[in-house]
Amino acid sequence: MNFADRMLGLDRRLIFFLIGICTLLPLLYPVGLPIKISPEVRGVYDFIERLPPRSTLLLSLDFDPASKPELYPQAVAILRHAFRNDLRVIAMTLWVTGTGMAEQVVERIAREEGKISGTDYVFLGWSPGGPAVIINLGQDLYTTFPTDYVGRSVQSLPVMSGLRSLRDLDYAICLGAGNPGVEAWYVFGRDKHKFELGGGSTGVMAPGLYPLLRSGQLNGLIGGLRGAAEYETLIGQKGSAVAGMDAQSATHMAIIVLVALCNGFYFWSRRQRRLEEEGHT
Amino acid sequence: MIFLRRQLPLLIAMLTGSVFAAQYYVPHPASEAMLTNVTKWMQIIGGFALILGITSLFHVHAVKIRRQEAGWAYSLILYAGVVGTIIAGLVARGKESVEGAMTAFGWVYSFVMVPLQGTMFALLAFFIASAAYRSFRARSREAAVLLTAAVIVMMGRVPLGEYLLPISGDLSQWILNVLNASVRRAILIGISLGAVALSFKIIFGIERSYLGGGKE
Amino acid sequence: MKPGTDRFRAHPQTALLLAVALAVAGEAFARPPAPPSNVRALDTPNDSGGTISILWDRAEDEGPELRYRVLAAEGSSLSQSSLKIIDEFPSTSHTVADVKRPWWTSPADPDTHVYYLRSGKSIEVKSGVPYTVTIASVRDGEQAVGDSKQAIAVPNWFNWNALNNLLFGIAFGVAVLLSIRRAQRGPVFLRYIPGLDAVDEAIGRSTELGKPVMYLTGAHDMSDPSTVAAAVILGRVAKRTAAYETDLMVPHRNPITMAVCQEITRQAYYEAGKPDLFREDANFFITSDQFSYTASVDGIMLRTKPAANFFMGAYFAEALLLTETGASTGAIQIAGTDSDHQLPFFVTTCDYTLIGEELYAASAYLSREPVQVGTLLGQDLGKLTVLTLIAWGSIAATVAAGFDYDWPRLFLDMIRDVK
Repeated sequence: MNFADRMLGLDRRLIFFLIGICTLLPLLYPVGLPIKISPEVRGVYDFIERLPPRSTLLLSLDFDPASKPELYPQAVAILRHAFRNDLRVIAMTLWVTGTGMAEQVVERIAREEGKISGTDYVFLGWSPGGPAVIINLGQDLYTTFPTDYVGRSVQSLPVMSGLRSLRDLDYAICLGAGNPGVEAWYVFGRDKHKFELGGGSTGVMAPGLYPLLRSGQLNGLIGGLRGAAEYETLIGQKGSAVAGMDAQSATHMAIIVLVALCNGFYFWSRRQRRLEEEGHT
Repeated sequence: MIFLRRQLPLLIAMLTGSVFAAQYYVPHPASEAMLTNVTKWMQIIGGFALILGITSLFHVHAVKIRRQEAGWAYSLILYAGVVGTIIAGLVARGKESVEGAMTAFGWVYSFVMVPLQGTMFALLAFFIASAAYRSFRARSREAAVLLTAAVIVMMGRVPLGEYLLPISGDLSQWILNVLNASVRRAILIGISLGAVALSFKIIFGIERSYLGGGKE
Repeated sequence: MKPGTDRFRAHPQTALLLAVALAVAGEAFARPPAPPSNVRALDTPNDSGGTISILWDRAEDEGPELRYRVLAAEGSSLSQSSLKIIDEFPSTSHTVADVKRPWWTSPADPDTHVYYLRSGKSIEVKSGVPYTVTIASVRDGEQAVGDSKQAIAVPNWFNWNALNNLLFGIAFGVAVLLSIRRAQRGPVFLRYIPGLDAVDEAIGRSTELGKPVMYLTGAHDMSDPSTVAAAVILGRVAKRTAAYETDLMVPHRNPITMAVCQEITRQAYYEAGKPDLFREDANFFITSDQFSYTASVDGIMLRTKPAANFFMGAYFAEALLLTETGASTGAIQIAGTDSDHQLPFFVTTCDYTLIGEELYAASAYLSREPVQVGTLLGQDLGKLTVLTLIAWGSIAATVAAGFDYDWPRLFLDMIRDVK
């Protein structure tokens, strides 16, 4: 086995170590490179900007703690933007394992922005059924969620005035890490009830949602940590996403270097093998 | 017996399949109410199905403990984890916090589940790097095209990449918006036709293997 | 000196003409507007009730300064003074052309105005209750009210907007059924799918090494076609593992899928003539939680080191964690998924990947049963139709936009998705 072959069979723990370093160092010593805003993220931002005060925004936080690094900063940025524009926020989740985290983020941002629970926002909690919940919400919000997360009657809350079903919403955003997520909200919600829908997803899933974006089925898409960083830049409050961009830059570059190296070794090994074969003949 | 195992399920599949396919074209509130009712049944059935799952889980691990198979201690931890979390959840009535104070269930959620799940997801970055190093090679012309596109998108999606190669941002946007979106649409069309054909076969009882394989 | 003033000095006749024109126009603007003509009110068709359509003809002097006001109230034959103002908008908006309806359900000519009266802040529109409605023209604070009309909103039993969708669906279903008949009459050519030939090879290798085969059915439940396809392929795989007397492990994320797969596996062992080898716990439930399941399956892979891993069905972020762990144990890995967002990971880490509808084709390829093969033929006919329609649609839309023709709409509406 020649050197190139040995390098191709490199112990993957070394690669893990390199990625670990590339993530850790930029977090400890941030550089703060400028972030360019993409039209997809601007789509969500501009729509919220155009909504008149007291419009209703439904925010479905359909992710669990596993996707927290990417989707939690998105939720923080959207909630800040909505509260600052005096929108009424109705938050919920379709993922039971995300309930605690969703409640935490809504309560924290609402407190920081000086909003009152029940008047300016409500966290409905989780209801079982996944996509079936969206179908039921399209029929009647109050039979799907008769009480909110803390047990108050949802129908009696001032934040819900004028709302009966998904049709009455001014805007809905799903931050989804899988199924049920953005696609389910489109198929079972927007497609039938014709409300405007924006999306947020993990970086891995974002390319899969581009067909929905190009056809106008989604009016904006926040993809992964990068999308969250763009949104933070747009609202002028840099948070954990912007801080994480340096680490993401470094890991992307490390992977590009690794791919270049592996290809270099691959061609080297192939050439050596060919030379050896020619030597034999 | 054959009727219960074969004909009845097929009849139910045919009836419900046709009714709910037709429901899509009926805007009447009665049809919407029917759909809502059925989704509620599905939720209830899903709840009961969980009992089935947990029974299977407990059974598999009980066998491991009884036979003291390799790693049987993990099965004990699983029992302790499941039972402990259920008790904590019942005591806290499913709430992570009550009037600002964290419950035991909340503690399990915040300090066990959140970090463990975060760790699993974080592994992705390491695995992507190792998989890329191991397999992402320009073995053919197609693989080389894939490789170039991947490098451009990876550069274009991070500020450092855009700083080093300013055109990568616009190029990656174009790749995602045009090439990626059109190819995905093509795949989606194929998948949807496949799904519709399969649904037709199930509704008409032509495809029955989901009931347990063979023919009568 | 402003250039405009200079121009009028140079052409005094032009300035005079302009002044006369402005005076005439000013007189016209000062004139009270004519009431909207031919006001009609009817139940909005193809909906779930709670909406009334109000239609009226286009006026000749429409422009940004002329506005329309919608007046309505609950009750029949009410006087115009008892009607409430519901909405007001410029006369250049709210035409039939603005509403996305196909030509076969379009309520009137494209120029005609239309307003959909539905529940809002000013009025609640209930099905089965009569409402009196009318439209007023408004200019410079003066309004002229049209004739009052009555209508009752009723829910409808069929959405004619989706007629094209239904017809295409039926046509595709018929094509699939006819193709199945065709396949029953004689052999049909099937494109070679390399991943499926590897199924036997992978199970054979597991037998040689005395190691188990692991089969995953994905993240979704039985209501998803990809899970059904995965369950169908499991039947074929289980038959082979039974024949080769190789251990099979099927960890599940969904209890219902587990119960169905248990039956499929039992049947497969029975058909292979090895019912005694069937183990009830070959299919077992782990958890429905994504990463807990992943961690557990990874653990099983590392401890038992299966020689072959099958990943069929729908997958999310767990895909790479599963396949990369499988690759590290040296297993042959075959994936089949319609989760297009995870395809790059499967292609990179697995030996063979069934892409998109190949997953659905897999059971046909493995069994060669006419029913399965015929379905594939039907799907191909469907694809051919879709491709043809895309081509014709692109041409028609280009012609319509380029030459401002209206007739391509007759065709384009047929392939539009209107609900």
